[in-house]
Amino acid sequence: MNGTIQAPTIEYALLAPMLVVFGAAIVGVLVEAFAPRYLRSAIHVPLTLLSLAGAFALTIWQAAAKGIPTKAAAMGAVAVDGPALFIWGTILVLAFVSVLLIKGEDHFVAAASAVPGSAEEEQALHEGAAHSEIYPLVLFAVGGMLLFPAANDLLVAFVALEVMSLPLYLLCGLARRRRLLSQEAAVKYFLLGAFSSAFFLYGTALLYGYAGSIDLAKISTAVGSVGGQDTLLYIGAAMLGVGLLFKIGAAPFQAWKPDVYQGAPTPITALMASGTLVAAFGALVRVFWVGLGGLDWDWRPVLYGVAILTMVVGAVLAITQTDIKRMLAYSSIAHGGFLLVGVIATGKAAAQNASALSGILFYLVAYGFTTVGAFAVVTMVRDAGGEAWHLSRWAGLGKRSPLLAGIFAFFLLAFAGIPLTSGFFGKYAVFQAAVSGGALPLVIVGVVASAVAAFFYVRVIVLMFFSDPAADGPSIVLPSRGTAAVVGLAVLATVVLGVYPQPVLDLAHSAAQSLFVR
Amino acid sequence: MTTHYLVLSALLFAIGGVGVLVRRNAIVVFMCVELMLNACNLAFVTFARQNGNLDGQVIAFFVMIVAAAEVVIGLAIIVTIFRTRRSASVDDASLLKY
Amino acid sequence: MGESITFWVLAVVSVIAALGLVFSRRAVYSALMLGVVMLSLAVLYAVQDAPFLAAVQIIVYTGAVMMLFLFVLMLVGVDSSDSLVETIRGQRFWAIVAGLGFAALLGLGIGNTLIAAPKGLAVANQNGNVPSLAELIFTRHVFAFEVTSALLITAALGAMVLAHRERTEPKPTQRDLSRARFVEFGRHGKNPAPLPGPGTYARHNAIDMPALLPDGTVSPLSVNRVIARHEAEEGTLAPEVAQILQQEEEGK
Repeated sequence: MNGTIQAPTIEYALLAPMLVVFGAAIVGVLVEAFAPRYLRSAIHVPLTLLSLAGAFALTIWQAAAKGIPTKAAAMGAVAVDGPALFIWGTILVLAFVSVLLIKGEDHFVAAASAVPGSAEEEQALHEGAAHSEIYPLVLFAVGGMLLFPAANDLLVAFVALEVMSLPLYLLCGLARRRRLLSQEAAVKYFLLGAFSSAFFLYGTALLYGYAGSIDLAKISTAVGSVGGQDTLLYIGAAMLGVGLLFKIGAAPFQAWKPDVYQGAPTPITALMASGTLVAAFGALVRVFWVGLGGLDWDWRPVLYGVAILTMVVGAVLAITQTDIKRMLAYSSIAHGGFLLVGVIATGKAAAQNASALSGILFYLVAYGFTTVGAFAVVTMVRDAGGEAWHLSRWAGLGKRSPLLAGIFAFFLLAFAGIPLTSGFFGKYAVFQAAVSGGALPLVIVGVVASAVAAFFYVRVIVLMFFSDPAADGPSIVLPSRGTAAVVGLAVLATVVLGVYPQPVLDLAHSAAQSLFVR
Repeated sequence: MTTHYLVLSALLFAIGGVGVLVRRNAIVVFMCVELMLNACNLAFVTFARQNGNLDGQVIAFFVMIVAAAEVVIGLAIIVTIFRTRRSASVDDASLLKY
Repeated sequence: MGESITFWVLAVVSVIAALGLVFSRRAVYSALMLGVVMLSLAVLYAVQDAPFLAAVQIIVYTGAVMMLFLFVLMLVGVDSSDSLVETIRGQRFWAIVAGLGFAALLGLGIGNTLIAAPKGLAVANQNGNVPSLAELIFTRHVFAFEVTSALLITAALGAMVLAHRERTEPKPTQRDLSRARFVEFGRHGKNPAPLPGPGTYARHNAIDMPALLPDGTVSPLSVNRVIARHEAEEGTLAPEVAQILQQEEEGK
């Protein structure tokens, strides 16, 4: 026993955005422990927003001033490369916007431990109690989202997956209204999430057995060189895929998504629909391109089928929905399918991969902003008992509040991918990469699915503008400054990315140019 | 011998998976998930010896930490819903449908 | 040879216990079965040169995780047995078919893989299992190790959010409680004193035994009504207690 351990090297500057977010979360917990109750909210909101903004600034500074590193950081555990930095920036902005939404109105339960409908709950509501722990929990989730797409080995990926998911399981169950639904969503999300992470883990085990290592780079070199154990590799890759596809809600693992999106408090739904999707796609692309890149002949047909199924399921089932949040959830499933089209558009040439990757990155930005904006609008249309969730209640909204209905219609058109919206260029970038990657049939399915989805979006628009408002229709609450800012920002992003997408496209392209570090 | 251990771990994993699908009690479903995680750990430990490096044992250690945190969150959520409904059956939780 | 015997014994035990976990009706039995699986696996870890993990498995899994499960089961009600009625037609059948298929796929796939003789951990463990693991955890995997702290904090915070009730009004003192008891006595004549114990002349202190007053009669305050009702149904109610209850009934 020699008793000496070489101290590890950790590139703190490189990891600073993530460390800032985690650090702020821990400070938030301390605030929760020591600050008096009336001060907590006043401390949490600026702390959370400043830390996210600071992390964003650090990310920009890293990319612009210090250049993109070519080696994995923290003893090879975290790969801070071009795509990772781009994804970090996206997640941080989307999280910032979602936090504005969280602070906007009373979306969260006053006392989670009080039984719904009990005198205790009444009293908590009366006293204006609030769970300010939500802010540190959101920061932990965001920290996990930052780590997940940058994970350079499967152990970090697993830990990050859990760091991201555990706070979200909790936050799902904290809706202020329709609490039974919300708690049920939390249980479902939790059980299915734990089930899927078991699959992810078993896949990791088999790949470890195959390659003798959990580093994505070493797995990638083993794919070509280790013989006689292909079964381990195939089953391992498949199970890893199940775990990842579950997180992005691809069919046939999409069942949790509508339930959870419907039950969760709307700002949390916005965070999940934008941030989690971005993070999970970043991780999926990294695992499949870097770790299993040598196996692409085998996984491409499978993902091909999954992409088709996801697009079709998302587009077709959206038609039968009557709940606005469920409808947006199915739309999110369909968009996951469109993004998968980009994932399989790999090729031998690095340029092909870079164009597919930049398409995915651009799509994620465009979709993230639009979806946060759409959920922000959902929070503003209220009935007596909370949000007016039933679609029929939205009838005639255009006559009552043309501005809000117009904005929502604009978001729906962006989801459908109509030209002059960000959604159009997102789809265009991904489909173009897929066509040049030789996946023309898939693109055709994608276009047809978009058309089906567009039919439904247009139906909602018609409902809003061309039918008579109900006499006791929902009221439009005057948005708080935070919510108004979110909607404004989302509209701005959707317009700018739809009219003048070039700067962001260039940025995505230059981020994707270096591809992933290995 | 490695193969034997792996087949045992696969069996346990599959049994856990069946349990998740057939049981109704949320707590038992969650126990089945824990069984699956244990099966993963057995595979990791076996592969560590097979490959001659300790990475597998390290991962198994991490899985235990993660599982402990997960159990806390999961049981807290289950207890909350139980207090509301006086039932831990996943069937009674059926407000969310299509 | 020793390893084979250990393996075969524990493999059979753990598979039977796992099946027991899935198919036993009562949640508590399932939990105990899970404990058996975890203990068997701990031994299998020890056999496979992982003494540290064997210890952690027992401490963390059987010690902490299992206890948490049992705690929650007690909280939820030990007797809660699961309904075995299928709510989705054919679900159980198809789940079992899928499980068997999956097990066959995994088992055959892995069983047929050409696996060379294990390299063994003699080299990796030459400085001792725990120091070698520590070196890996604190060098190569240090970042993952640090990040797990976020998980643990989340778990603690989450449990607090969901289960902790903050007291919004000051806790009543002995004085307040006593005052409230006498106010109650003044208004409704409710007895402010504690319920009588078994009494000086009692020959039993079981809960179903009424206390005797100094004159040997039964104190009605000490009769547990729930137990008395059960006993009346069974016909084992003591006659003097029945008499007291009868008088009370008429008095109302």
